[in-house]
Amino acid sequence: MVMRNRAAWLPWALPAIVLVTVFFVAPFLLNVRFAFSSWTSFRAEITWNGLENFRTLIDQDLLANAVTVTVLYAILCMAIQNTVSLSLALALQRTSGINTVFRSAFFLPTLISPLAAGYIWRGLLAPDGAVNSFLGVEWAWLGEPSTALVVVAFIDAWKWSGLITLVYIAGLNSIPKSLLESATVDGAGPWTRFRRVVFPLLAPALTFNVAVTLVGALSAYDVIAATTGGGPGDHTRALNVVMRQQWGQGFFGSASALGFTVTLLVIATAVPLVWWLRRREVTA
Amino acid sequence: MRAPSRLLSAAIGAVLALSLSGCGSSAPEGTGQVKLTLWHNSADPAPLLEMYKKFEKQSGHKIELVSIPSDGFEDTTQTKWATGDRPDILEYHATVSGLLALNPAENLRDLTGEGYIARSGDLYQSAGSVNGKVYAAITGFPQVFGLYYNKKVFTAAGLTPPTNFAELAAACPKLKAAGVTPVFESGGSIWPVQILPILYLAGANQSNAYGKAIAGHSSTLADAGSPFVSGLTAYAKLKADGCFNKDIVTAKFEDSMKALVTGKAAMVAQHSDMLPALLAAAGGDQKTVDESVGFVGLSSDKPLVTYAPGPIGTFYLPKTGDAAREKASLDFVRFMTGPAYAEYITASKTFPVLKDVPDPQGVPSVLQDVKKAYDTGAVIAFNSDIPGMGGLAQLMSELIAGQKDPQKVATQLQGQVEQAAKAAGLPGW
Repeated sequence: MVMRNRAAWLPWALPAIVLVTVFFVAPFLLNVRFAFSSWTSFRAEITWNGLENFRTLIDQDLLANAVTVTVLYAILCMAIQNTVSLSLALALQRTSGINTVFRSAFFLPTLISPLAAGYIWRGLLAPDGAVNSFLGVEWAWLGEPSTALVVVAFIDAWKWSGLITLVYIAGLNSIPKSLLESATVDGAGPWTRFRRVVFPLLAPALTFNVAVTLVGALSAYDVIAATTGGGPGDHTRALNVVMRQQWGQGFFGSASALGFTVTLLVIATAVPLVWWLRRREVTA
Repeated sequence: MRAPSRLLSAAIGAVLALSLSGCGSSAPEGTGQVKLTLWHNSADPAPLLEMYKKFEKQSGHKIELVSIPSDGFEDTTQTKWATGDRPDILEYHATVSGLLALNPAENLRDLTGEGYIARSGDLYQSAGSVNGKVYAAITGFPQVFGLYYNKKVFTAAGLTPPTNFAELAAACPKLKAAGVTPVFESGGSIWPVQILPILYLAGANQSNAYGKAIAGHSSTLADAGSPFVSGLTAYAKLKADGCFNKDIVTAKFEDSMKALVTGKAAMVAQHSDMLPALLAAAGGDQKTVDESVGFVGLSSDKPLVTYAPGPIGTFYLPKTGDAAREKASLDFVRFMTGPAYAEYITASKTFPVLKDVPDPQGVPSVLQDVKKAYDTGAVIAFNSDIPGMGGLAQLMSELIAGQKDPQKVATQLQGQVEQAAKAAGLPGW
């Protein structure tokens, strides 16, 4: 019986398996050796150099800071996007004319290129920009160490929350109304209904959204590059930003080591997280 | 069955033929004309772009321009280069450090025997060449680094523009009292903030002595009391004394040009290839630039300008293995350094690097200031021959943010120099 079930799902999974193998696993395996090589633009020979690239990155105070910034940024992005998107989804769940307008409005930033979004916000958040004019303050939102990372995470949230909201709306609409009505009849208020019925049944959407936002932010580059370029100092210098800088200086082996670190970070974070989130999924 | 097979074969043949004709760089066979790819800096001035068109017209070859943004120019070029992609002509830095990062012996054509080299004086002693082989064709006047200043602001404050760091420090409080930002720095563009420390070092780098000592590993950037640490310390003091703009971290270099022209800032440390940006900041009004902006040399203790052969108008010919295209690209270099060069100098109103070409007429006054300062005392940028110095600008951002002190910046940069020098196989490392 089990064998027959496996045979049944295999054809459906095969295209995904092939795509992941060809476009992710194979390039990863073929390129991982460069992380342990002396590959630079200065000479043609590429030789095995063990952990030298990692040692160099640690000696130059680059690796630890980049990992810290990347993880902090990913957690911020995941938390902000899911909080904002879930709130929006609850507010816009009912399908009505006005809600459709708002859903479209919140979805629009998803269609904008991340670089363009970054440049727009950099202009708005400049010390003499529109945001400060509106608030009547003089603050370098992207230039202050205390605010830069959080502000960039909010820009990323602005860019992607529309998409995450749609996933939550789909999840909310898949919850049987009868369950909510039963809970109401049993005397459950709005908060209890949300906590005891809605949130547990939203688990599949939550799994998807948390994984996507976290993994996406771990590989962040474009919004950071367009807004702060990694600054002020190294306060927003995520792994991919350092990778680009190393690449630009011709240190391709070190850049590959940073790319390898991003991959390890994604695997080490995403696999246990998805496993844990899947365990708490329930069906109606 | 046969008909569909023939149809299929014909279709595949047609697709292949179309693909090949689309992908190939050669123009119609038998004409001897080819399509050349030129990776060029987006800041190329209009007269230079016009020269590319004139070459097309004269030779019949086509030039496909691939524009590389001047912001992040080095990183983007290196990224494209690392993929193995090669243009027929590459516009890039002429500094030895920039050249080493292209692995010239492996990737570039040796132009040592070309006629323009003998007409360039000792230019190729310090630029565009490695191990006695010349790889570059330099047509642009070197980038001359110094202080642009607003004449009206200085006149109103009763000051003369500073030519050493002590005078610069002394001018700051007076200019601030007059309600002007003394020096406008553009940390948002990252690279401009390394200019002032490099200017400081001109005093210690006569005949490129300091640069050679670092590149040859007889001194290190992080030596106690080294000129480099002193330069960073002087910079940090200027910042602590409030000489820079408040938005130093986010301001872009375009902002600095605008602040200078409008008189909101008194000085900007920049190089001579930024004159088009200065003109743009003045709304294209050359008269405004001439009336308001001047240029002086500045170093730790004397009026010196720092120069570095720039990327604008510096061409390399990567090895492509295509004989027709390689011949055409060499024709391009001969065109740019041949009879057309005088025409380019006249149109661009810049100074020639080839000896037999006269200076142009009608040079803007600020460029005349640049030339005057260059002729009075010019020192090559100390980092021109040192590989691995590309990280200086990023480290300056950390110095500005207060995350690192001058000694720590020097130590970390020395590590990057060591990494690059060893990779390049420089003697002494």
